[in-house]
Amino acid sequence: MNILSILVADNISGEVLEGFATGSVSVQAITLFAIVIGAIFVNNVVLSQFLGICPFLGVSSKVETSLGMGMAVTFVMALASVVTWLIQTYILVPFGIAYMQTITFILVIAALVQMVEIVLKKVSPALYQALGIFLPLITTNCAVLGVAIIAIQKNFDLLTGVIYAVAMAIGFALALVLLAGIRERLETEDTPEAMRGVPIALITAGLLAMAFMGFANVVPLP
Amino acid sequence: MSKLQIITKGIIKNNPTFVLVLGMCPTLGVTSSAINGMGMGVATMAVLIMSNIVISLIKNLIPDKVRIPAFIVVIASFVTIIEMLMQAYVPSLYASLGVFIPLIVVNCIILGRAEAFASKNGVVDSALDGIGIGLGFTLSLTAIGMVREALGSGSIFGLSFADSGMPLLFILAPGGFLVLGYLMVLFNKVAKR
Amino acid sequence: MKSSLKNMVVVLFAITAIAALLVALVNDMTKDAIAASQLAAKNAAKFSVVGTTPEEATIARDTTRTIGDFDITVSIVVRAEDNSLIGYAVEAPSITKNGYADRITLMVGFVKEGNDVIVSSVEVLSQKETPGLGANMMNEGNSLERSVVGKVAAELIFAVTKEGGSFDALTGSTISSRAYANAVETAYAGYLWATGALDTSEEAIEEAMEDAPTGASMTNDWEPEAQEGDMSNE
Repeated sequence: MNILSILVADNISGEVLEGFATGSVSVQAITLFAIVIGAIFVNNVVLSQFLGICPFLGVSSKVETSLGMGMAVTFVMALASVVTWLIQTYILVPFGIAYMQTITFILVIAALVQMVEIVLKKVSPALYQALGIFLPLITTNCAVLGVAIIAIQKNFDLLTGVIYAVAMAIGFALALVLLAGIRERLETEDTPEAMRGVPIALITAGLLAMAFMGFANVVPLP
Repeated sequence: MSKLQIITKGIIKNNPTFVLVLGMCPTLGVTSSAINGMGMGVATMAVLIMSNIVISLIKNLIPDKVRIPAFIVVIASFVTIIEMLMQAYVPSLYASLGVFIPLIVVNCIILGRAEAFASKNGVVDSALDGIGIGLGFTLSLTAIGMVREALGSGSIFGLSFADSGMPLLFILAPGGFLVLGYLMVLFNKVAKR
Repeated sequence: MKSSLKNMVVVLFAITAIAALLVALVNDMTKDAIAASQLAAKNAAKFSVVGTTPEEATIARDTTRTIGDFDITVSIVVRAEDNSLIGYAVEAPSITKNGYADRITLMVGFVKEGNDVIVSSVEVLSQKETPGLGANMMNEGNSLERSVVGKVAAELIFAVTKEGGSFDALTGSTISSRAYANAVETAYAGYLWATGALDTSEEAIEEAMEDAPTGASMTNDWEPEAQEGDMSNE
């Protein structure tokens, strides 16, 4: 007989099927490890999902600033994924207003960024000094909203969702720092005038994306 | 500045893709074919014109410090409403443009123009700016889509001229970056002269 | 406008409230129309996948099987004039494989030709795959469609070709293609179930669970002759 039976069997529980759906019963068992590696390398948020390109191009001229931006994004993404998960699970779904998802999430992220800025300023001026200038930029970073929505779509539980968001953010930071490192070197090279700035950065990013494609079959995709 | 100038400015001097470098995420994400690029451009233009109008109308009511969150809310609700209306009353159009609409929320062009133009200018000028920038965006996306489609799948607007052997790379992520980068070089060479 | 804490809170709250109200209003207004247009599209697909039109045919019966969160709906399409069977239209989601973004829902038509059950046509009801890659499954005559339409259902292997299956994957979109194959498999399971041809005994399921990790399904001891119109397993 075959797997078809499972699909319509009477005595199969929804849970087993959910397990199937997320792959935990099948060969594609998604361990946390696979989620993390997948999010950082295989489905890199910038180089393969095309999210957060604006800060990727805008803040990648120096390694130091790109590190700061990467850290700030990681911090906000982790927070945002917790808050959006709670809102989705305890407000949007129970009240049947899931169609308000985008508006709510984007507003929550904007508010969150503002709050983080205020709290950081009071609690840790040193950290604020390091991250402060990047925070307002994050509000308009589509990667934060994108990752929050993807984590909901993938039906992760809270912990997995947070781990996923942090891994995505690390992927963002990695891509950013790599590009910044290359751009610092390019600065001193004699690039043709029409290529200076954004064009050469894009072409470099294309080569980086090509390199990242090599990770494609390393882990089963979540 | 004449009314016509506002429009032409959006196409060349302030081209959102090649000069302002705004809205890169949808630009790279959907331009795997010419028709997709065009669809995204048109959908964005519609939202941009309307959000520019609304923002220029309410600009005087919004305190400076909450400007950005306020704009974001306006844009996000706009996009959601347009998506629902389209899905309900023009399902055929929704079938072809629907996938792009949610992406517009995260398109920084809309917020960028709200901030840089609509919050400082009148209603008519803001609408014209929306048209100009929207046209510039549509043209750029269509151009990128054409190049990627031609190189990657051997067709232009779905009309196939080569069946196989085209480098798939151009449809995938790296090709997006590379084609955009080289087109930008070309634009710098030609249009900025 | 100059910002003060008071006007900031008031204005932002007002804008959010108005926006939320408008969205809720439009949602309310369009909810029914959206549901209706989706239903209309779905209904039209029921006829088109078995190669007929609502003028010539009617739906004799819809049967829905719910498993966990998923619904498989089997519609029996008959000729309007004499109620003779045209075929089965099965609406099914990809159950064990997600697409790149979300589940994929297909409408798959099954018709009998001689002793074989043929996949007459496949329509994509919903998908959120990447435009230009996975979303190409919406295009006429794409490689996935070509690999199933007109084929004998019992001979299909529900996996992509590079994993030994019969589905010629869309270029660069293995994940979307796997989900597509899985949705066709689910539809076929729904068809077999509706016609009473599916072995759902405990032993069969146990065996299937053991096979499950291979992903692809195989052997099929099902005899097509005896099943037609047999709805005893409702």
